[in-house]
Amino acid sequence: MPPSPAATSWIRRSLVPSGLALAVLAILWIVLVARAPLDGMQGVIQKILYVHVPCAFSAYAGFIVTALCSALYLWSNDERLDRLAAASAEVGVVFCTLVILTGPIWAKGTWGHWWAWDPRLTVTLLLWFIYLAYLLLRSFTEGSARTARFAAVYGIAAVFAIPLNYFAIELFGGAAMHPDNLERGSLGTGMGWPFAVGALTGLAAYLHLLLLRADLEALRAEAVHPDPGWDR
Amino acid sequence: MSVLLAILWKDLVTEWRSRDRITAMLLFSLLVVMVFHFSLPGGATRETQASAPGLLWIAYVFAALLGLNRSFSLELENDALAGIALSPVDRGWIFLGKTAANWAVLGVAQAITGCVFALVFDLDLAAVAFRLALVVGLGSLGLCSIGTLFAAVAVRTRFREVMLPLLLLPLLIPVLLGAVRATAGLLENGTLAGGPVQLLLVTDAIYLIVSFLVFDYVLDE
Amino acid sequence: MSEPALRASGLGKRFGRSVALDGIDLELPAGASLAVLGPNGAGKSTLLRLIAGLARPTSGSLTVAGTPAHRPEARARVGFIGHASLLYPYLTARENLVFAARLQQAPEIAVRVERWLEGSGLARVADLAVSHFSRGMSQRLAIARGLIHDPSLLLLDEPFAGLDPRAATRLAEQLASLHAAGRTLVLVTHDPKRAAELSDRAIVLAAGRVVFDLRGDEAGAAALERAVLAASDSAA
Repeated sequence: MPPSPAATSWIRRSLVPSGLALAVLAILWIVLVARAPLDGMQGVIQKILYVHVPCAFSAYAGFIVTALCSALYLWSNDERLDRLAAASAEVGVVFCTLVILTGPIWAKGTWGHWWAWDPRLTVTLLLWFIYLAYLLLRSFTEGSARTARFAAVYGIAAVFAIPLNYFAIELFGGAAMHPDNLERGSLGTGMGWPFAVGALTGLAAYLHLLLLRADLEALRAEAVHPDPGWDR
Repeated sequence: MSVLLAILWKDLVTEWRSRDRITAMLLFSLLVVMVFHFSLPGGATRETQASAPGLLWIAYVFAALLGLNRSFSLELENDALAGIALSPVDRGWIFLGKTAANWAVLGVAQAITGCVFALVFDLDLAAVAFRLALVVGLGSLGLCSIGTLFAAVAVRTRFREVMLPLLLLPLLIPVLLGAVRATAGLLENGTLAGGPVQLLLVTDAIYLIVSFLVFDYVLDE
Repeated sequence: MSEPALRASGLGKRFGRSVALDGIDLELPAGASLAVLGPNGAGKSTLLRLIAGLARPTSGSLTVAGTPAHRPEARARVGFIGHASLLYPYLTARENLVFAARLQQAPEIAVRVERWLEGSGLARVADLAVSHFSRGMSQRLAIARGLIHDPSLLLLDEPFAGLDPRAATRLAEQLASLHAAGRTLVLVTHDPKRAAELSDRAIVLAAGRVVFDLRGDEAGAAALERAVLAASDSAA
């Protein structure tokens, strides 16, 4: 079905508030990160964590959104959900790439080597491959009626693979080298706020980019076949 | 259910008459053994037995990829897939029939490849034959279930030979982990480790159920 | 039998960005015989595939005897003969029919298959692999394959293509007697004479829309030919 004007305006209207929220959070985050205490042993390198962790949240959130929209799309056949799924994947893969780039930088600074096959890193790498496969699938069926449906099927199947892979690797894979920093207690003093704001900023960035991308897709779809209500 | 059996029968009869899938899979597996021998520092011998389980499953995955692609490209001839899609049953049964056929054909290839590995690496498979068959069966069920789903998807995209491995490999990690660990455990000390087998069972169940439910959307035009 | 055999209401089908069918309204009572004509690319095959349940509509609705066409219950009532033969080259004629009958869950498979092999004149080659068949033989087998489960709604996509005159006459007789026995027929064809001979109503499609809907006397061969030409011109 061609997109109704209402769909695009909802996304369009959210762009400004989400952009503002992102700007505010980003400024707050930069200030907090700059003023956060330097870790005694790791030095400045440790601050890259404030980028690495929020990106990880967004990368995983991105694929969950893609999978959810895929399932809803298959059920309802509403094209907007498919566009949202695609947009989420494109934004999510960027965050995932950032995680994989910032991770080794931090690792080299603290553990001494660029890469280690610990569970979280390995699963994030797998997530990256899954994202790329999803996007490749979309482009290799470009223009076909099946693009949306095949991508949705893959999104749904792949989302199950993520927790499965995590448990599998944790049970049998390499030794865990990630600090277990999800509990507040293990963070040093003064690190709590930058982390929290960082996480919010990361999610806000993801959300804003998602809306931008979804809007672009809606515009593109509408340009190709305009709503008949407009010209009949 | 009868549709599942009909498809299984049809695929097996076709495979028996043409023998193209099994030949390709076997030839490929044997070539792979030779490649392993030249890639391993100590060659593929008794001394490098420890690598055998992992390499065996790599060989199995490659063979599976070959067979899976073929299983649906056959259906595209004469638009036969439409003939199957016309069946007045829940299309998940079509998926199960195809998966069962792929599993059976892969199983034959796996058995023979396993024997070749046993020869080369000087492994004693007879002692653990039964349990090994169970592990291999569970592992390839995981391979074939999600593999059949994605083969049906990949066969109608461009570059289908490339698409299938790209889609499939990340999702096969849990299957491979469980299967390799279980196989290694069996070969080292004859015990069937509970953890890996449980992982295989859970993964197989999830992949089978998800594929069954979404297969309808893959067959639609 | 109050439900029409076929009802399409605002039926539309899009493939990505191209529109194959656009706003088709059609109602066909049980036992009717409809011919579908039109230039290439008009959407005739797409329409048939939608009725067969092979594809889902992207807009509007389509029911077969009251049930949405893509549901399994609707597919049970439909017999589809497409452009391609839907046959497996490595299987014999008999095996192809047995497989089709099992897929369609038809009862008394052995008896049924023998009957159709006889009726299609293929009894003597029943155990020959289809890869050795001539075009005409494959076509006859394809038709048997599509009708093996005695469906009440028959969908035929250019079934006369590739048949020699004798086989074509035989098929026309077969279709006429099936129609006389109460089956509903939807026949896509390029041949206005066959269309007029076998059906009492004809629609002409162009660019996914119904441009002519002719019944009874209006649906004579000459009239159909003019209509198709007019449709081709308007679509060009």
